[in-house]
Amino acid sequence: MKESTIMKIHYGTALAAVGLVAVHILMRLTTGFADSLEYENVLANYRSIPYVVMLELILILLSVHGFNGLRVILLEIKQGRVYEKAVSYGCMVAMIGLIAYGSRTIIMTNIGMV
Amino acid sequence: MTEDENREGIKGMINPGRYGIERVAYLLMRLSGLGLLGYFIAHIYETSNILRGRMGWDEFLALTQTTEGHIFLALVIGMCVFHTGNGIRIMLGHGGVGVGKPARPDYPYEPASQNYRHKIGIYSSILLAAVAMMYGLAVMFGE
Repeated sequence: MKESTIMKIHYGTALAAVGLVAVHILMRLTTGFADSLEYENVLANYRSIPYVVMLELILILLSVHGFNGLRVILLEIKQGRVYEKAVSYGCMVAMIGLIAYGSRTIIMTNIGMV
Repeated sequence: MTEDENREGIKGMINPGRYGIERVAYLLMRLSGLGLLGYFIAHIYETSNILRGRMGWDEFLALTQTTEGHIFLALVIGMCVFHTGNGIRIMLGHGGVGVGKPARPDYPYEPASQNYRHKIGIYSSILLAAVAMMYGLAVMFGE
């Protein structure tokens, strides 16, 4: 993929994540910070389909943005064909791993496996 | 001094002292980005404790509901707000907003993009981050 396309994805994921993370944080303030983190309240959040969709979107957007940012930083430090491929694929694998792990929590809690 | 001796590597890349507030913003952007990625991974792990039931959730939550935990979260808020504010400035700059009109390069060759508009953007991001951190601390310690 062209670097210019990757940067557009980087900026797009950032803008979308800012809006969704703002909603996610505001949800913590609706019932008071400590109360919103009570087990029942968190479980109720995970059982709400719109909220779960938002959490999954945040997970994907931030993983793509975060690991691409890490890739950019690592490529600024050192260059080379093998190194660049290792960094790019390494970040891709880490990103997929994090999305899979986060999705597992979201899906298992949503369908009541807790 | 040979060319190799003159090459500073990462030390030169992260030195914030020589190139003004733009270099400080460059450094803070990368540090906050790495910090936020670290926090994001930890947050995904932290929330996965809900699968351990009420006991597991309460146990892990107790670790974060301490003075140190609140100070750490305030730092995360600061990093998040700075990274967002400065990120929007960079996006606007890449889109040609606030970088000035193209002109003939004349001595002392000041880069058109490093103008007062972008400096204000950087200082505003730092200020907003400080305000958000104070608000976050007030919310967390106010309960």
